[in-house]
Formats: sequence, C-alpha cells, structure tokens
Amino acid sequence: MSGLTQGERRELRIVGFLCNWCSYGGADTAGVARASQPTDLRIIRVPCSGRVDPLFVVKALLNGADGVLVSGCHPRDCHYGTGNFYARRRLEVLRRFLPVLGIDPKRFSYTWVSASEGQRWQTVVTRFTEEIHELGPAPRFMDAGPLEREIEQPASSPLHSLDSASLESLAALKQAIASRLPELDLVLGWQEGRDKAHLVPLFIRTPEDLDRLAIGPLAVHNLAVYLPELKGRKVGIVVKGCDGRSVVELLQEKLISREDVEIFAVACHGTFDTGRIDQALGRYQHLESVRMDGKELRITCDGRERHFSLENDSSTKCLHCKTPLSPLSDHSFGSAPSVGEGDSTPPDLARLDAMTLDERRAFWRSQMERCIRCYACRNACPLCVCRDHCISDTREPHFTTQESTAKEKFFFQIIHSLHLAGRCTGCGECQRSCPVGIPILALREHLIRVTDELFPEYRAGMTVDAAAPLLTYSVEEPHIQEREW
Amino acid sequence: MRIGVFVCHCGSNIGGTVDCAEVARIAGTFPDVVYSTDPMYTCAEPGQAAIEEAIREHSLDGVVVASCSPRMHEPTFRRTVERAGLNPYMFEMANIREHVSWIGKDIPSNTRKAAELVEMAVEKLRKDTPLTPAEFPVTRRVLVIGGGVAGIQAALDCADGGIPVVMVEREATIGGKMAKLDKTFPTVDCSACILGPKMVDVAQHPNISLYAHAEIEDVQGYVGNFTVTIRKKTTYVDWSKCTGCGTCTEKCPARHSVDAFNEGIGETSAITIAFPQAIPKKAVINRDFCRQLTKGKCGVCAKVCPTGAIRYDMEDEIVTEKVGSIIAATGYDLMDWRVYSEYGAGRYPDIITSLQYERLMNASGPTGGHIVRPSDGREPKTVVFVQCVGSRDPSVGRPYCSGFCCMYTAKQAILTKDHIPDSHSYVFYMDIRAAGKMYDEFTRRAVEEYGTEYIRGRVSQIYPDGHGQLTVMGMDTLLGRPVVLKADLVVLAVGIEAARGAKELAEKLRISYDSAGFFLESHVKLRPVETNTAGVFLAGVCQGTKDIPASVAQGSAAASKVLTLFARETLKSNPQIAKTIPGRCVGCGKCARCCPYGAIRENVANGETTVEVIETMCQGCGLCTATCPQGAIQLAHATDNQILAEVNALCQA
Amino acid sequence: MRFAYYPGCSAHGSSLDYELSTEAVCEALGITLEEIPDWNCCGSTPAHAVGTSLSAALCARNLDIAAKKGISLLVTSCPSCLSNLRSASKRMKDPAFRAEVDDLLDAPTNRTFPLVTSVMQAIAEHISPDLIKDRVRVSLTGIRLVCYYGCLMSRPHDLMQFGDPENPMLMETLLSALGAEVLDFPLKTACCGASFGIPKRPLTARNSGRILELAHSLGADAVVVACPLCQMNLDLRQAQAQRATGERFRMPVPYFTQIMGLAFGLPHEALGLKKLSIPLDPVLAKIEENAPVRFGGEA
Repeated sequence: MSGLTQGERRELRIVGFLCNWCSYGGADTAGVARASQPTDLRIIRVPCSGRVDPLFVVKALLNGADGVLVSGCHPRDCHYGTGNFYARRRLEVLRRFLPVLGIDPKRFSYTWVSASEGQRWQTVVTRFTEEIHELGPAPRFMDAGPLEREIEQPASSPLHSLDSASLESLAALKQAIASRLPELDLVLGWQEGRDKAHLVPLFIRTPEDLDRLAIGPLAVHNLAVYLPELKGRKVGIVVKGCDGRSVVELLQEKLISREDVEIFAVACHGTFDTGRIDQALGRYQHLESVRMDGKELRITCDGRERHFSLENDSSTKCLHCKTPLSPLSDHSFGSAPSVGEGDSTPPDLARLDAMTLDERRAFWRSQMERCIRCYACRNACPLCVCRDHCISDTREPHFTTQESTAKEKFFFQIIHSLHLAGRCTGCGECQRSCPVGIPILALREHLIRVTDELFPEYRAGMTVDAAAPLLTYSVEEPHIQEREW
Repeated sequence: MRIGVFVCHCGSNIGGTVDCAEVARIAGTFPDVVYSTDPMYTCAEPGQAAIEEAIREHSLDGVVVASCSPRMHEPTFRRTVERAGLNPYMFEMANIREHVSWIGKDIPSNTRKAAELVEMAVEKLRKDTPLTPAEFPVTRRVLVIGGGVAGIQAALDCADGGIPVVMVEREATIGGKMAKLDKTFPTVDCSACILGPKMVDVAQHPNISLYAHAEIEDVQGYVGNFTVTIRKKTTYVDWSKCTGCGTCTEKCPARHSVDAFNEGIGETSAITIAFPQAIPKKAVINRDFCRQLTKGKCGVCAKVCPTGAIRYDMEDEIVTEKVGSIIAATGYDLMDWRVYSEYGAGRYPDIITSLQYERLMNASGPTGGHIVRPSDGREPKTVVFVQCVGSRDPSVGRPYCSGFCCMYTAKQAILTKDHIPDSHSYVFYMDIRAAGKMYDEFTRRAVEEYGTEYIRGRVSQIYPDGHGQLTVMGMDTLLGRPVVLKADLVVLAVGIEAARGAKELAEKLRISYDSAGFFLESHVKLRPVETNTAGVFLAGVCQGTKDIPASVAQGSAAASKVLTLFARETLKSNPQIAKTIPGRCVGCGKCARCCPYGAIRENVANGETTVEVIETMCQGCGLCTATCPQGAIQLAHATDNQILAEVNALCQA
Repeated sequence: MRFAYYPGCSAHGSSLDYELSTEAVCEALGITLEEIPDWNCCGSTPAHAVGTSLSAALCARNLDIAAKKGISLLVTSCPSCLSNLRSASKRMKDPAFRAEVDDLLDAPTNRTFPLVTSVMQAIAEHISPDLIKDRVRVSLTGIRLVCYYGCLMSRPHDLMQFGDPENPMLMETLLSALGAEVLDFPLKTACCGASFGIPKRPLTARNSGRILELAHSLGADAVVVACPLCQMNLDLRQAQAQRATGERFRMPVPYFTQIMGLAFGLPHEALGLKKLSIPLDPVLAKIEENAPVRFGGEA
C-alpha cells in the first residue's frame, strides 16, 4: 500500500469487466465476507468473458482508464461452456498487441475467479490495483509529444531473390486466360494506367481486353479485394502469392465460393514500392520510357532517367515473403524463387520495436495527425468484408465518434487491426493505398507476429478449411502462459 | 426518457459507509433522471411500494436501484416495476453494497464510487429496450444423478408427483454411502432397515427408470430441454437375464479381488453382487480380477450361470435421454487420508477409516458384524477414535468441518461397547459439534452411559509398538499434557470431499464448484437447492457436508423445485438474448461458428447468406456480439452501445 | 567425482567415526571429499539461540568462502550443519538481511551461494544403486536394521527437501541396496531429545528410550543414524534411557556410513567402529555367520 491509506492516495481509474456467473459472483462473495479492497475499480457486469470485445478494453485505455481487468469463469467452468476459451485467446492477443500501440501491457490483465473465490478476488483486485498504482496514471495519447529521436530503419535482406522474372509468364498467362474466357464472366488482371510506370486493375471481358494485360513488379494491386462484390459471378483472377492468400482467406470465410472463382497464379519475384517511385519521380510532364532488366528499373521522364532497383525499392512486405506463389490455384505460371529459412522482422515493425512505449505513442500520435480519415486503407483491404457496415461509420454500434482527432483516427486503425487479427495475410494494401504514407501495416504485422507466436500451427490464407485462431479455441493453450496472482 | 433512481441505505449496511443522500443528489444531475431518493430499505414492502408510487407519480419509464448485488434482488425489483406497469427490463441495478460499502470504509471514496456505479447504470438504462420473453414447451422428465439417500428421496418425490424420473448411479447398486452404514445416529436404528424399503420403491416405481453402473457422458441443452448422454459401463453380465441368484459369486475362483463395497476390508470374488439388499440385485464382473478377462481362461461363471447371462464380450453402451430438469445428488468420498504420514499413511492394517469400521460392524459386512482387527483377526479391547483427520485442517487443504463425524464417532463408540462389552474406547476430538435434534444428548450417552473416554486434542503420531499394539501419541489440551495410549485398533474419522469426478460433472452441467469440489448453490441461504444454471438442482452432500436427515430434506426440496418448474406446460425464455440486425449482416457466419448452443441459423436466399437467432436456444452469452466485426448481432441488454455507454461513463479523457 | 565438503565441528571431535567412515565409504565409491579452506562453526545451537543474524553470519562466511572458490555444490554430513547452512542461504536472499550480515562480516558476501546437500543425498543422487550393489563385498543378509533420521534431516520440508518429512526413505534405499533387511521404523523422525540433554535429562532419556525400545521390540540388530548428536545421545546415554523405560537391551547405534563400509569390506579401523560405546557385535556376529566372501586385496 506504499504507506498511504486508501483515503489519502489519489484514486486511479480501473475498469473491470466481470462475467455474471463466476467473477461477478466472486466479487459478491468477497463483499459478503467484508474482504476489504482498494476502491479504484469500477465493475461492468457482462454475461460472459466471451462477451468482452477487446475493443471495449482499448476504448477504455485510450479514453483515460489507467488499468483494465477482465475476469471470467475458470477455463472448463464457463457457464456457457466455451465463452471463456474464446476470451482467453482474444484477450491474450490483445495483451500482446498493446505494446505496439505504446500502451503498457501491464495496464491490462485478464484472469479467472469463480463465484466461490471471494478471497482470490480480493487478492486479484488488491494486487492489480497496486500494480496500476506502481505504474501511476496512464499517459494520455493526446498528450504525447513529437518523437524526439531519430530511429533508424534497420536493414533487412529478403527471404527470396527479387527480380522481374515474373514478366516471362505473360504470354503463357494470356494464352490460358484466352482459353478460359468463354466460360468466365470476367477475369481480373492489371493493365497500364496513366503511363507505363503505373499499372492499374484490368477487368477482362473480351479477348481484346486481354491484349492490355500486364504483369510484373509494378503490378501491385491485390485484386482479391473485388471478389466479394462479384459473388455469384464466374470470375477469374490473376494473383501473386500474397493475393492468393487473400483469396484463400475469403474462401475460408465463405465470402466467395470456390466454384465461382478461377485462380491464375503467377510466381511473384517481388514488387516495387510504388509510393517510393512516385516520390522520386516527382511531378513530370512526359514519361518517355520504362525499362526493366533483372532487378533494375529505369524510368525516363522529362528527359531525365531515374534508376530503381528491387534491392532498395521493393515493397517492404516482399522482404519477408514466404509465399511467392499462391497456395491455391487452378493454373500456375513461372517458377517460384526458393524461400530461405527463418523469419525477418518487417523494417517498419523493427523500427517500432526499437522505440520505448512513450516513443511509440509519440510516433503514432504524429502519424495519426496526418491521417485525413479517407478510409482508403479500409477500402483497399481485401478482408475488410464489412463494407458499408463498418462500425466506424455508424452509431449502431457507436464505437468511434466523428471527431477528427488523432486518437479517434488511431482507434480506427486499432479496430481495423483487431478485426484482422488471425485473418490478415500481410498483403500491405492498406499501407500502399494510404495517400499520406502512414506505415499502418506495422500494426497488422505486429498482430501477425503475435498470432504466429500463440498459434504457430496456423497461418492466415494458407488452407481453405482451416479455422481462424480467434474463431476457435483449444481447451489447453500450450502457448498461453497465464499470470499467477 | 424519465428515470427514477433509488439509492438504498440497506439499514447501515450501505448507509454506514456510503453517503446515500449525496449519491441520490448526484444521481439527480444525470441525464434523463427526473427523480432520485435514498430509501432506508428498498427491498422491503414499503420500499417497493415507494418505487411503484414514484413510477406513477413521476411518470417514470425506467428505474435504477442502487443497493445489493443484482444476483440477489434483480428479479425482485423487475417484478416491482412490472407491477407499476413498466416493462420489467426497463430496470437496472448498481451494486453499491457487495462492491462498495462492504469492501471499503472510506466514506468519500465509497460515495464517489457509488455515484459512478449509478451513473453507469443510468447510462445503460437509457439504452435499454422493453423485452418480452418467449414461451417454449418443457420436457417433463427429470434426471437424478446419484442413487444415494438424497437422490433416492428426490427421485421418489418426483415420481410420486407424476414426473418420470431417469436415475443414473455410478455403482452397481443404489444406496450410496448410507447402504454401507451399520446403524445411524442418534436413534441407532439399522441403516439398511430404513433405507432398504426406499431402494425397493425406486426399483418398483413405474415412473422411475434406473441406470445403475452408468455415468453421465455429456449434457447438452438448457432448462426444459436437456439432452443427456449416458454411458452404461459394461458389467459383462446381461442384466435382463441375471436373476441375482449368486451362484456365480460362490463359484468364482478369483477370490482375492478388492472388495470395494466393503471399503477394501476383506476380499471378494471377481464377479460380485455388492450386498444382499442391492438394487438392482445383479452381478457385475470386476475386469481387473476376472481370470477370463485378464488371462483368457476360466469361464466358471458362464458355466454355472443358470440363465446364461454372462457376456465376456460385452461393451459399454451409450444411451441418450431427454429431460427437462436435472438433480445432482452425487454425494461424497472420503479424502485420501494417506497424506498423514504420521498416521502411517496406510502402512499399518489396524489403522482404519470410519467407513471401514462401519463395514466391520455391519452384519452383512466381511466379518458378519464381528469387530476384529484386520491384521490378525483378534477382537480389539482398546479402540481409539481420532476425529478430524482431514477436517478443519488447512495444512492438508481441508479447512472445513465434515459435519457428521462427531456424531458417527459417538455412535461407533457406543456400538463398540455393545459388540465388545469388555472393550474401552477413547475419542480424540477438537470440539464436539452436536447441533441437531437429540444430538448432544446422544454424545453425552456415549460418555456417561458407555464410558467412552473423550480426550480433547489432536493425535501427533500412531505407530505399531512392536508388541502387537499401536502406540497413539497425542495431546490432552484440557489438562495440558501429552497422552500416550496403547490401542488394539485405531479408527480415523476421515474428512469428506466431493465425490470423485464431481468437478468433471459440474463442467458438464455448467455449474460452479468450490475448492473442495462441492457444487455451488445459487444463494447460500435463500437458494440452497438451485444452481446458477436454470433447471439444475442439488441434493445431499454434493452441495456441502450434511448428515442423513439434511440430505433427505434437500432431496425433497430439490424434488419440489422440479415439480414447481413442471407445474406449467411451458417455460418463459430469458429475453436477454442476441438479435441480428439484418441490414448490417454480411453473412460471414463467424457468429454461428462460435455460438456454444448452435442457436444461430444461417439462411441462404438468392445467394445471400443471413443469420437468424433461434430465440429459445440462445442463452444470452454474447459471444456472437463480441465476434461480429460489423456489430450486426447484438445481445439485448448488453449491446455494444450499452457497454460502450458504461465505459464512456467511466472513461472520458 | 569430487565434492566440496563442509565437515562441521563434530566431525573433528565427538563424531570422528562418522567423519572417518564417511571418507572411507566415499573413497570406496570413487568420491573425493575436498574440505573447504578456513571453515568455521555453522552457528548451531548456541549461536542461533542468541540471534539469527549472528548465526547466519557464521554460515554465510562458510558459504561465501565456497562461493568465491566457484563451488556450486557443497556437502556436509551433519544434519544440524545442513539445516543451518540451508536456512542461512535462504535468509540471505532478503536484501535487508543480507546487508545486516554483510555488515557483521565487514565485507560484501557473494550474490549467490552454493547449493548445500547432505552426504547421504549426494551419494544417492550421484551413485547408482547398481554401483553400490557392485561394491558390496560382505553380505548383510539377515541383518535387521532400522533407520533413524532424527528430527532435523527432513524438516522443515520446504527447506530440507528430503522427501516425505514424516517418512523419509533415502537411508532405507541405500541400506537395502547393501542387502540388509530394513524394517519399517515409525519413529524414524521422532525427536531423540538431544537438545534437552543438559537442562531436562529425564525428558531426553524418555524420548531416546522410546526410540531404542521400539527398535528392540521390532527385533532390530542396530539403529542406524545419520546425525552426530542423535548418535551420541542414543549410544552414550543408553543406560539412562534404559532406566527411563525399564527395558533391558544393548542396541548398537552405528552411522549409516559405518554399515556401508562394513558391506564394502572396509577395515574396521577405517570405519572407527571402536568409537561406538555399544559395540556392533550382534551385527558383526551375523556377518561372520554369513561366511563372508572376500575378494583379494580389498578387505
């Protein structure tokens, strides 16, 4: 109690979510036993710990809670059978997600207290409250100052070779699409956009459309994003490895059906970071030529030649890509580069890892100040299946306000990330489409890292009939170490 | 909305450490609150009348009561507001007693906290909607788990009330622990003589179907409509043919099988009928000892069985039963007293448990009712009883009193003298707990008429003295000196714990249990028979330590709860269930995938998938609501917006 | 195999036979005991009665010497030394207590201390029962022994980590491996009363008498011990104990190492058998009866 009596020290804001059947009863039992406890905690009664949306916890933490505690029935004792099994997975993912946001994970805890365990409840409340007091009042997101030190992006080398070999598959791909086109309503691919340096999606309906098909390291769009909208039509789709995983994920979530989609998989040897290229090119009047040779890309515009290389200018997602070829396909083209062993941390995430919690908050605050809330990230995400029903666009339910503060914008990114937890394949479309270049992919990449740690047997977008980790449970969780009280 | 807030003093229970008038004043400033007050006892008749009056006078359409736990009085106040014409679900509670006034003494902190809890309740109430329960039909059958005296009583009462009963008993015979006892306190009447007729009634009652030697495999469903899977463990004897003649048990050559019914005192055959009055009186083969089943040759029982009932190839059988209610009456087991190394941890044959002693005294026991020492068959002349072995002893994780040991020890001391008139008994005790009708008188008889010597104190060590007796070292705490006794036989009054497998059963029934495995009642005083799972009731020691009269009473009480439940043709469902918002659903089915009850149906029409909640199946856990990314399925009275409103009331930075 | 060894003061005085036999048996099993340099008293009875920090300081000095020599495991024969060393080691984990002791010692002690264990545990944990059996040269068949651990060896359980505190079985395992018949001995951890030997002699006599009398009733040839103080008490004060119980018996009280040494065929002088006040004659006679098989050069 650090020498102070309860009345003397300033109360902190601690929010508890307790299941009605066990933990709320346990808190009642503690009360009946007159088990004295610190007064900081306010309890929200929910039917089951499985009812606790991790977003409630984040909402509380972003809006001034100094600590949040969730308590349910002990595993196996859930009044509803399995609610707390789901809660355990989701809350553990949340706990491990908090640090990347700049929130101290010690401010959040979840545990199990049965209705008979008044004494345990007293211990849990007392200890958690003490821990929160040791941490002191939580720093507010909107109080975070600018990031004060330069944190270098660590260098990282790709897991497979990067070059433009995929270009070689174009003729065979065209031929295959031509032969299948009569039976398909349309085929999704890429074509030249405003000039040769910018590829855009192509909707192939006729053989003439097919002539415009283009592929290669500049074909960056993940075309899977269009598939749910086209449900019910026979659609062919050209996919890179990462795009293919999105297709698998959509199939797994039953948002498209296998018989309606025909997959043309092209072995991908890496894509360029088009944002970086655009930045280097700046404004120009005429584009004279685009030449690609091995790793090298030369673009001449307004008489100046600029030189890019997949070594330096590839999309960051390509650096740790392990699936150059789609795990599921009906036709495949080109040979996939061999993938090296090990894991590499994506550069933006590595940079966040190198920051303190305060620095991460400062980083996100300054980044979010730049967000124009255009939702391009959401619209480009192939797994943002809520479409017109996104909870950030509605008051039913009213998760986000329409205030244009960095905090609300950050909360939207957290919603998006948590909704993708265990589903995100890391295709990076959210970040690529961001007009102001906020490195939001890092949040998703961190969650992928978390779900990899917790559920190593699962990788999103690899198998159609697998169960996403947060939509299932196991009675024993070998990778979740619950805290002791 | 027009909200009324009632901040209850609960006498001094809340008023003593919370400034209730101040909380009521603050509550008056919350949005939509048009009336707030601080009554002395809100749940009392005048308190409830005042709520009704306020609803009429101030045209309230929602009420918040800040008082005790909603687990206690939420149903009470829902009825109150309903009487005044409101929908009962336009009501919220703030728990300012168990969660505030009883756990802290600092009045300013408590008052602030109480006001915030009221604010949360008001914010939640503002988003409440009127709810109406649906009605659903009830399967008017009851499952009784456990055929001890509590289960027997419950089953007979239900059956007499016209309710078909399915009784599942783990052992080969019903009767439970009571069937093992010799006599019962305080009347010293024969246990088998009073239990036997009830067991026969179970066997003969047209409304009772009995599964003996069977266990509960799985329980699905909910009040009114449970589906129970029962595993009929193999007996290797076709019970439809077995007449219980006992020829097989006489001829069985495997004579050294552990005699479980006799608590391991003596040995028995591999094929047995537990005891002469067993119900059902059918033979069972113990596969661990049967020569045919272990070595593949013997077959004597099959040869001698006059009806050809032996089936060595018999396997477990699974049956399912549909019932509307369940009574758990699983009783207890003795704790494993071998944790007491100082009593030899089971190494010395003449240190036995009280239940083993019952079998020694019992005329149908292994010695025909002659008390003899297991080691050498000699009649003991000095018997030392040690009470509280595994009771009231936190050092072995048994802090609780087993409740009936004081009484049966007195009984056993009395019976010892009856059996062996020249014997002398000592009882080591901590306190004598003889609170019951004729109980204290009974223990006094043991001392005054039968000369039992009671020594207040614990026993530190018991060991064989090398001369054929046991040395019992203890402390007489009244005289303040060590005691050393020589005993021929030591009887340990071993503490009890919930029956083995109780926790696993609780998990299947979705009820709670305490650290000793005893099932948790809904309210320790006011709902001692109910559990927090609707339709599941408790009888006997499975709920906590009890003697026979209390177990029988609770058996009847559980039966009356079942009869009350079944008095209506239909039940009202809890209307606080999930509901889909069709326009928001994209048909991804994540909710249906997670639902523990399969209560979410996916409908496909015109290629579009939508989901629908089956009203009577949804139990209101809200897992679907937490799962749906677009908020398209909302749990009534715990909607996203309601929980967010509570969060927002607390966190406004 | 080499173990760092803390003999304790009894080993160099009253229990010289324990020391001798321990060394001889260890040597026979291929274990070398290396005495730590400049050790001092463990602070048993007198010191810890005066003050825990004072007593702990004495132990801490020994532990510190060992730690600074890079020793990770220290063995000792005496249960009282073991108990003191272990409890000091545990107490020193509290920074405030450590500071107090460091102050008494005028120098900061090492951050970590070696694990301390008994010679008996060290033998049992490091030497396989088969190896012990292989080393047997003299048959102990028919010799009935009871093992007596005394009150300290197994208690308190958390501190000593010696198995079931009421019913340790380690010595039984070792002696059974030698071929002896080891009897169940319910009083194996009962107090012999040694600490009251001076202030309350009748109590000591009664406690010791109870132990010896039970061993006698069970038909034991000897009470085998592992504690110098128990040994002295049961052996030297046997006459007093007999007067207290009124029984007549002469019960030898050898150390477990002496019995092991006999089985290994080691010379009696090397085991200090002469130091026993009640001679080991009944045991030796039975050994003689067993027509010992001796192997060349070893006996």
